[in-house]
Amino acid sequence: MFRIRFHGRGGQGMKTAANLLSRAFFLEGYEIQDAPRYGSERRGAPIFAYVRADREPILERGAITRPDLILVADDSLIHNPSAGVLQNVNSRTVLLIHSEVPGEVWKDRLQFPGTIIGLPLSAVARSGAQIPVVSASCTGAAAGLVGVIRRETLEPALREELTRLGESVIAQNLETALSAYDAMQPYAGCVKEGGALSAEDYAPPDWIEIPYEDSTISAPVIYRTATSEQIQTGLWRTRRPLIDYSHCNRCSWVCSTFCPDSAIHVDPDRTPHIDYEHCKGCMICLAVCPPHAIYMEKEQPAPIEGGAR
Amino acid sequence: MSEGTIKSMKNLPQEHILGEGTSLCAGCGGLGALHQIYDLLGEKTVIVNAAGCMTSLAIYPYTPFRGSWLYTAMASAASGAQGIRDALDVLIAQGRLPTEDDLTVIALAGDGSSYGMGLSATSAAIERNLDFLYICYDNEGYGNTGQQFSAATPWGARTTTSRGGHHGKKKDLFAIWAAHHPVYAATVIGAEPLDLARKVEKAIRLRGPRLILAMAPCPTGWGYDPQETVEIGRLAVRCGIWPLKEYEEGRLTHTRIPQPRIPVEEYLQKQSRFRHLFKPERNAEAIAHIQAEVDRYWSNVA
Repeated sequence: MFRIRFHGRGGQGMKTAANLLSRAFFLEGYEIQDAPRYGSERRGAPIFAYVRADREPILERGAITRPDLILVADDSLIHNPSAGVLQNVNSRTVLLIHSEVPGEVWKDRLQFPGTIIGLPLSAVARSGAQIPVVSASCTGAAAGLVGVIRRETLEPALREELTRLGESVIAQNLETALSAYDAMQPYAGCVKEGGALSAEDYAPPDWIEIPYEDSTISAPVIYRTATSEQIQTGLWRTRRPLIDYSHCNRCSWVCSTFCPDSAIHVDPDRTPHIDYEHCKGCMICLAVCPPHAIYMEKEQPAPIEGGAR
Repeated sequence: MSEGTIKSMKNLPQEHILGEGTSLCAGCGGLGALHQIYDLLGEKTVIVNAAGCMTSLAIYPYTPFRGSWLYTAMASAASGAQGIRDALDVLIAQGRLPTEDDLTVIALAGDGSSYGMGLSATSAAIERNLDFLYICYDNEGYGNTGQQFSAATPWGARTTTSRGGHHGKKKDLFAIWAAHHPVYAATVIGAEPLDLARKVEKAIRLRGPRLILAMAPCPTGWGYDPQETVEIGRLAVRCGIWPLKEYEEGRLTHTRIPQPRIPVEEYLQKQSRFRHLFKPERNAEAIAHIQAEVDRYWSNVA
């Protein structure tokens, strides 16, 4: 059975990528299972989707714990712990990262036990594409890497899944998927099917067990206030707003009032500070600042310490 | 009419007390309004939240609130608010809760609930003269589930269940509330913080059923770059499609009369939910229809 995980952010189309790939497997005669996994719907937050494909009926359920192939929509997700990209990887796992950084560098950085392939999105997507095509690139690359999906199967698979979106969307996605498929030909078939899992292989999910409340309360109670501040939504950010204090006129209210996330604090001397642990990078502050004292930079992947978990 | 303390931008709260780290979309116009409202409400509140986008604010064990929060089914925010209000009143009457520890009961619901499923329960609560503040964040569709159309979706807008443009008309929830003769009702938008703060301050001082109806520009559902949330909100006010107004003591007042009103298409063309009105070819008839509806509204404003 092939066990494949797609990691991306809400809005990048990982659910669609999984749909497209499983359709292609289906057209090649496979039994398939595909499902997205996300919390409440939102853009920018890490999500994943997964596909199982087998010649036999699939009885396995739940999120994939022994991935044969992992596809990553952008490299900022790698070191985002809540994305869980590197969860349960092993020496058989093939990891494809959409990144300008070569795969060998990633393998070294992450001390990754399996194979890593770097694929720059710029290499497969036409510049100026009007729609996010990283999903199609994930699908095309996955189809190329598993080695059991023919190139000509991609077109009917995309067509069947994307019909309602119209011809130009299908054409852009197909072009990207085929480029990614072709780019993977040197590695075609490097992803091997994993064997059946036995009960001994079961790994409990990585969550905290919380005891039941007293039955008179019969509902979970949070005793502390504003606990949401423990969640680092700053990891969603792909762009970073920066304040040029030489231009900030200390108006004391515009950026901090309009920031929907309360992520801009103002000192008593009226100097604003952006809390990068929580700023989601919406850039409203940049848009509303009267003296245009806020500018933006692309978020760079932070250096990585230690290896794969 | 009591005079408020918020006279200018400088009087707006400097401290923002709604916790960071919520899982709402970057650039959420609903959160943009809610955090401004919450800064004024403070922590001595119980938020009774109908299912919707805002229920993902508080996901156990995380909450951005500094006071209490209770989750209800989509149609039940006003009923939940009634239960909480009654419980507080009973506890105070029995001497089990000091009067100074009383809490303000807030219903928080989106347009799917407020304009549709929850409307009957809300109507009954207003009729019972329930002492509560009802906050509706109106993003003109079922945003939490991917923007299906709701009773608040404007005519012509594309949603996932109205791909060719919505055929229904946006309900006038403000007028429905006003028809119940509540103590107070107002429309606000996060893009106009001073107008919002004055109205919220007024609502806090009153007792009885009160509505704060906030238009909530939605980058995800309406289709625009998150950084444009404030700009879209300002355009909504300046083109007249979102009138800022209040109802108090039986009287309706417009707190902002845009003059001159900019053409409504400046607002429409910034959002992909209206893109089909401009591309592949311009649908002049539909745009004129939307403009005419806005013009007709303002022709009735004295």
